[in-house]
Amino acid sequence: MKILSIDTSSGTSVAVLSDSEVLAEINNPDSMSHAESIGLAIRDCLTKADLKPVGIDRVVIGVGPGPFTGLRVGIAAAKFFATGAKAELVGICSLDAIAYDYYSQGNTGKLLVETDARRKEHFWAVYSGLDSGVPIRVAGPSVAKPEEINRSDLQLTSITVSAAALGKIAFHQGLKASGDVSPIYLREPDVSLSKGKKVTC
Amino acid sequence: MLIREATEADLAGIMLIERSCFLNDAWSEEVMLSELRAPHTFYVVALAGDEIVGYAGLSKLGQSKQADIQTIATALSSRGKGIGRAMMQVLTSKAADLGAEEIFLEVRADNKVAQKLYEVFGFRKIGVRKKYYQPDNIDAFVMQTTLLRKDPLVLGIESSCDETGIGIVRGNQLLANVISSSMDKHAIFGGVVPEVAARAHLEALNPVLNEALEKANVSLDEIDAIAVTNGPGLAGALMVGIGAAKALSVATGKPIYAVNHLVGHVAADILANGKVETPTIALLVSGGHTSLLLVRDLLSDVTLLGETIDDAAGEAFDKVARVLGLSYPGGPEIDKAAMGGNPNAIRFPRGLTLPKDMLAHRYDFSFSGLKTAVARHVELAEINKEQINLADVAASFREAVVDVLVAKALAACQEFGINRLLLGGGVVANARLREVATSRCQEAGIDLRIPPFSLCTDNGAMIAVLGAQLISSGALPSGLDFSAESTLDVRIVQS
Repeated sequence: MKILSIDTSSGTSVAVLSDSEVLAEINNPDSMSHAESIGLAIRDCLTKADLKPVGIDRVVIGVGPGPFTGLRVGIAAAKFFATGAKAELVGICSLDAIAYDYYSQGNTGKLLVETDARRKEHFWAVYSGLDSGVPIRVAGPSVAKPEEINRSDLQLTSITVSAAALGKIAFHQGLKASGDVSPIYLREPDVSLSKGKKVTC
Repeated sequence: MLIREATEADLAGIMLIERSCFLNDAWSEEVMLSELRAPHTFYVVALAGDEIVGYAGLSKLGQSKQADIQTIATALSSRGKGIGRAMMQVLTSKAADLGAEEIFLEVRADNKVAQKLYEVFGFRKIGVRKKYYQPDNIDAFVMQTTLLRKDPLVLGIESSCDETGIGIVRGNQLLANVISSSMDKHAIFGGVVPEVAARAHLEALNPVLNEALEKANVSLDEIDAIAVTNGPGLAGALMVGIGAAKALSVATGKPIYAVNHLVGHVAADILANGKVETPTIALLVSGGHTSLLLVRDLLSDVTLLGETIDDAAGEAFDKVARVLGLSYPGGPEIDKAAMGGNPNAIRFPRGLTLPKDMLAHRYDFSFSGLKTAVARHVELAEINKEQINLADVAASFREAVVDVLVAKALAACQEFGINRLLLGGGVVANARLREVATSRCQEAGIDLRIPPFSLCTDNGAMIAVLGAQLISSGALPSGLDFSAESTLDVRIVQS
């Protein structure tokens, strides 16, 4: 199966895989330019992998958690790429990619993954290892103030999520189509009802 | 930067760049001169001040449906400023005007930068000329693009505020206009919440696309091009549409056009009327915009005469509705409350109409003072333990908004000697605005155009038809690197 994998929960990361083999990847760590770079990243990655869009069977998308505006750019792109290329969508928790990379380097034991959630909060999840190439998440994903996160486990603060790792996880999971996908927001829109203010003194 | 047709007098300036850009294979002065003189060629130069900083040429023989880009070069010191792109745009528009349906060019096989640029413009590699460039012994890639002149089938995506819109048009003909609004989700907050709007866009994308394709009875394969709003609007909301549109463009291989939302509102009249009669004054009034435009030409000459300096008119309706204890959206609620009310009962202020304001803000609007005046009226009644006459307050507030909108639009018509006025934007749904505009335009002998409401509110069809207009004019696609521009200038029709 040919896989296009996209993640915009941190920077813009795009990879093309054939099963679990990475054919091409493009990683742009800039967390402020998702909308500008997503189209070129997908196109250039396909070109590098020498694949046409119609050759893609699955679109793997990191569904977060991550800063919302950027996260949505990747998910929107994944949805319409899948529609345009007649491929199926597979949603994967973005933090899983960080755990996957950690364990596939031979590391073992419990792992706390943390990423910046802005507004002085962190997204986090705890993992215990890999099961047939799929990270075993034992807690999270959640959002919390940094001082409230239990740090008894080994901690890994990452700023980048690799689409290549997401693609591999999806492959090890069997590439089962998710149907539609939704972002993992973990936070309600930051808005409160204003009381209305007096204008007469 | 200015681009104009080249003359023989430009030869020296052109040769300076020619020799510095094409080291081993520069054309001679004689060849260049004969190119400039030839009846079947069209050359342009780009100027920075008086200095020639680029040139490009097109060849199109008689009745042929094919044109060739002969050459294009930008001075080394002026690269990276979009000069090449701008010159290409002029040449392809010219080719379209001359009746070309295809454009060809040759590019050095080792010039990847240029190839990428041409690809962005929709050119595709169709062949190789072996060892074409001498003495370097380098192959030429032949690239070709098809100009979609006649009635292109365009899919338009709009997500600048709280409506996810996807429309499909064939030339001037409306095939589908599907809108999913997140208005209900904003109701408890009394106004559009950007994060709520952006979340709703993401959810609505696929259902809206599917419905639009079904209604238009076309498949994605049949679509000729994709158009998308890239501003002005809410950045986070725009980015959902942009991300989706770019990926759809890559997945389907269809060219993408990033277009201006406000100009899209003007273009909506094409779907109702077959064309936008120009010149015209356009008044666009919605929850996010209150803009007065002078449109001399839809694609090349749109000027912003004025806009709101604080709240948009629709926003003023929402805020005043809250003050009056009415629900969101405020427009229809205030309309309802105003029924039977006396519009002249309370003389609420007309923003920016005093002589001193008219000097600096002749065509600008301000509604925050009006909102405060209504709030003060209500509070004073409370303090004095009096009942307000809701119908009179609502009618008088609405009258103040409508009065200033129509008065400034008509003043613009008068000043510029234009007897056409086009209305657009969601506030056009307001019956009183339509009524006052209709009667005052009639008195003044001004031809008033109000497209159907489904085309006035934010929608994808207006974006699609603006894309179709650009394509028919020979405009090149936007490429894939454009960004969301929350304050996009109305003069930039395509990014």
